[in-house]
Amino acid sequence: MTFKAWIRTITFYELVVGMKATMSHLLHYKPITMQYPHEKRALPDNYRGMLSLLRYDDGTEKCVGCDLCEAACPSRVIRVVSAEVPGEPTKRYSKEYYMDMTRCLFCGLCVDACPVDALGMTREYEWSVYDKRQLHLNKEQLLAIGDRSFPVREKQLELQHPNVAFFNVAFKHLPQKPD
Amino acid sequence: MANQTTETVRLMIDGISISVPKGTLVIEAARQAGVMIPHFCYHPKLKPDANCRMCLVEIERVRKLQTSCSTVATEGMAVRTATTVVNDAHKSVLEFILANHPLDCPVCDQGGRCDLQDFSHQYTATSRFAETKRIFQKEYFSPLIETQMNRCVQCLRCVRYCDEVMDVKALAPIGRGTMTEIKSFGNHPLDCEFCGGCVQICPVGAITSRLSMYEYRPWMLKRADTICTFCGDGCQITVQTKDQELIEVNSAHSGGRNNGDLCARGYFGFHAASHPDRVTHPLIRRNGTLVEATWEEALLFVAEQTNRIKQAHGPQAFGGLISGRCTNEELYLFQKFMRLTIGTNNLDSSARYGHVNGVQAMRRVQGTHRWTVTFEDIVQADVLLLVGTNITEANPITGLKVKEAVKKQEATLLTIEALQPAVGTISNITNLSKQHLCVAPSQFGAAVLGLLKAVIEGDHVDPGIRQRASDYVSALSHAVRQIAWEDLAVSTGISSDSFAQMAASVVRGRRVVVLAGQILLRSQGGYGMCLNLLDLLLLSGKLTSPGCGFAPLAEENNDQGAVEMGAVAELLPGALDLTDQDSRDRMARAWKEELPLVPGGTLIEMVDRASAGIIKSLFVVGENPVGSLPSQIRAKEALSKLDLLVCQELFLTETAALAHVVLPAASAMEKAGTFTNTEGHAQAVRPAIDPVGDSRPDWEILSAFSVFLGAPLEYGEAKEILKEIRSVIPGYGSLGPSPIAPTADPSAIDRYVTEGYRHDVAIRYTLPPRAVRQEGTVQLGLVQSLFHSGKFSTHSKGLLQIEPSAFLQMNPVDAARFALGSGDRVRLSNNRGQFITTVKVLERVPEGLAWLPDHFAQEALRLFDCVIDPDTKVPSFRTATVSVLKAT
Repeated sequence: MTFKAWIRTITFYELVVGMKATMSHLLHYKPITMQYPHEKRALPDNYRGMLSLLRYDDGTEKCVGCDLCEAACPSRVIRVVSAEVPGEPTKRYSKEYYMDMTRCLFCGLCVDACPVDALGMTREYEWSVYDKRQLHLNKEQLLAIGDRSFPVREKQLELQHPNVAFFNVAFKHLPQKPD
Repeated sequence: MANQTTETVRLMIDGISISVPKGTLVIEAARQAGVMIPHFCYHPKLKPDANCRMCLVEIERVRKLQTSCSTVATEGMAVRTATTVVNDAHKSVLEFILANHPLDCPVCDQGGRCDLQDFSHQYTATSRFAETKRIFQKEYFSPLIETQMNRCVQCLRCVRYCDEVMDVKALAPIGRGTMTEIKSFGNHPLDCEFCGGCVQICPVGAITSRLSMYEYRPWMLKRADTICTFCGDGCQITVQTKDQELIEVNSAHSGGRNNGDLCARGYFGFHAASHPDRVTHPLIRRNGTLVEATWEEALLFVAEQTNRIKQAHGPQAFGGLISGRCTNEELYLFQKFMRLTIGTNNLDSSARYGHVNGVQAMRRVQGTHRWTVTFEDIVQADVLLLVGTNITEANPITGLKVKEAVKKQEATLLTIEALQPAVGTISNITNLSKQHLCVAPSQFGAAVLGLLKAVIEGDHVDPGIRQRASDYVSALSHAVRQIAWEDLAVSTGISSDSFAQMAASVVRGRRVVVLAGQILLRSQGGYGMCLNLLDLLLLSGKLTSPGCGFAPLAEENNDQGAVEMGAVAELLPGALDLTDQDSRDRMARAWKEELPLVPGGTLIEMVDRASAGIIKSLFVVGENPVGSLPSQIRAKEALSKLDLLVCQELFLTETAALAHVVLPAASAMEKAGTFTNTEGHAQAVRPAIDPVGDSRPDWEILSAFSVFLGAPLEYGEAKEILKEIRSVIPGYGSLGPSPIAPTADPSAIDRYVTEGYRHDVAIRYTLPPRAVRQEGTVQLGLVQSLFHSGKFSTHSKGLLQIEPSAFLQMNPVDAARFALGSGDRVRLSNNRGQFITTVKVLERVPEGLAWLPDHFAQEALRLFDCVIDPDTKVPSFRTATVSVLKAT
């Protein structure tokens, strides 16, 4: 053991090096912890928070019940029960829509998969609950989240023809079938 | 494919050298070489149409691209399917299709298994067309079949399938060019056979099933290959389920005996198993009402009562009935349970309603209990004789084989049917026949005799049989001579010339198949008629020739299995005779227990014994004698007298409502086993869903009974029973894709022609009694409807949408005579009772007859008289004379 090392040992030099940051903060105190419920952080623009279902401006649900979100979901959060809209034959919608948010890992694949942009990721993250079952959300709850998080709704594209699905509305004039 | 040339040609496809039979299309050759050429309009079942242009390929030394689906492979041909030119061509074709195809894949039921979707991905095709897409007026096609013509790619597969395979011709392309749409003829919703073929064959989502619309996406479905539970054809179906829910039924092309074709019952009838009225818990009668109980309580109750009755009255106080819809394993275990655990031969199955007639006739004449032909022989036959089949409605898939034989192989079709040739909503087999004799069901016997007389008197008797069995031939000649042509003409309305012409056609044929349907088998004297038809084949020298044979068609899916498993009173497993000492010894050795000696009672005898108080207890598995037998038999009164009636049922039927214990049974969708179809091919049944509620497979229930009764017949799974069946009947079970038909036993034929025919020849060769038709009456016949099978299908929501109730079907001439129109209420009455129903005017019903489907007609049964065959004990109650009055 050299003399230098011996001096370091008896003066607890390592401890001083280790505690350097602590010591300097002790002297120049500047808090970085946020007083969470009282103050909140600014979220990045692409923040992926709680999922929600969206509506058009006229209040109709966007979801067409295609089950693609269910297929895209890697952790089997979503369950869609699709059916024909009562009174509007051949129109498809989700009769029931469930999300088990306890499993969700907020990857956003469902939002990507949605062909009608019916799913949105809100900026909500305050979803701690005492009972896990409260995180099993149904369609009404998801729509309510969407309603409060996306006050500006997309305009419902006008359906020029009752026999046209939403997806092929990229044209203005429709050939009229002769009687 | 025995009749096809074995000449082969060698060609190159994408550098792969392959040798194929001459006449193979390039697209098929490529498939065999492992090269998939994209296509829409091509389908192996259909004639090439080459309208979609998707299958273009480059062929060396041919200047332009060729459609591979319509080009025949020739020697030395060099085909390239993946060159830039070909790829560009495919891309352009896709671009044209996508110019009009809506991009609604997310809501389309075909999305995920759509050919267009797959090819679009493959070629990354986009459409540069900015023009508006065509839009068709939405029209409702049918309650079961949904069309979305915007998605149509106009390949016309559906139209061609409907015409070429089904012979229904319900669909047609209307309009021109891109505005072509598929419609039914006329301005009305689709009214056809509802075989579901157009839904299955559509490469895109233009035609989909409305029954399960939007309930699933293809990737969610779990598949189970099983066998259809309706008629005896034994079609392979793929049941698709999502979370224990029945979603859809398909059938893969080249799968099973049906080659992917189904009928309305198979395609739309699957919901019967998931009906909410299913019995889901054991029920015990307490103070006169059936109340829910646990399995333990129910089994203990049955065991106690059974032991009590057995001690007091002996084993002959028991009887058993089982349905021909149960699996072979259950049928086998049931008869073993009755014979060993209970100790009686009083047992019967629903094969007794008619199928036994055909089987016993075959056993007596040719020594087999199965057909000596297969479906392939029907397709390759050059003469087909159909007697009393109404094949389209009773056995639709066997009917397709007949249609294929006539339309593709140019077979001569001869029909003796109670059916008028007519263009109707469903295909009519007599439209295809070369010679058709329209005979009332009660006179089928006379028509068969006329044919025999024409064979014998036209000197068509085979010299071989004349030489070998001159006594037999002269006895039959003598017998037919007693029948005058004039009497035959009066009975059947058919001249001797027609009979002679038909006889000549039969004799001329090299491969002759005679199909006898349920109308013949279930009518009075059905056994005699079967024997006479076998005589016809014997006399014309066809019985032992390859490709020839007699084929009685089974009504229920496992009637044939019921007979082969020995679930009838007079037969042991393997259709061995119960009275034969050798067979009894064989079974006793296999079972290590002696068999009961007392001959058993058949269905009607058991009912009689129950009403006489001899039978005290009845085990009924899926059978419904109260609902199926005419009131004259007094089954209800007889069964009410029983001390113990145990029913294993899916639904609370009329019989189950009288039971002391009702046990919930699993349907065929929920259990494993095997079914034997009408041609004698045992096929595997696999569970698609878990048993509904507390229900259990019938074999498990029977096994549990035997344990509680102290003589355990224990099996771990259905396969173990099959293993035992195999040890008793060598080689039984699923044996490859097609059955190996037995050949007629020459020694049995010798026995028959020397001695066996003698005792009843005089009875068989007399004309059936002729009913004098009075003014104001029609001959009412209980018939099979295409859209139902037994009573089971009346629980299926899909089929109920096509046919919700029974209609009295009548010829327009008769309807006019009674001043009736479709939809009118009518009162049918005779001295036994009356029945009110609704009329439907149909041209295919012959004049003087009226049809009533027997699936709903419980009360109508009181109109029918029941005659029991003295030999086979088959009750026949299919025809009655009734007077018709318009009801207000």
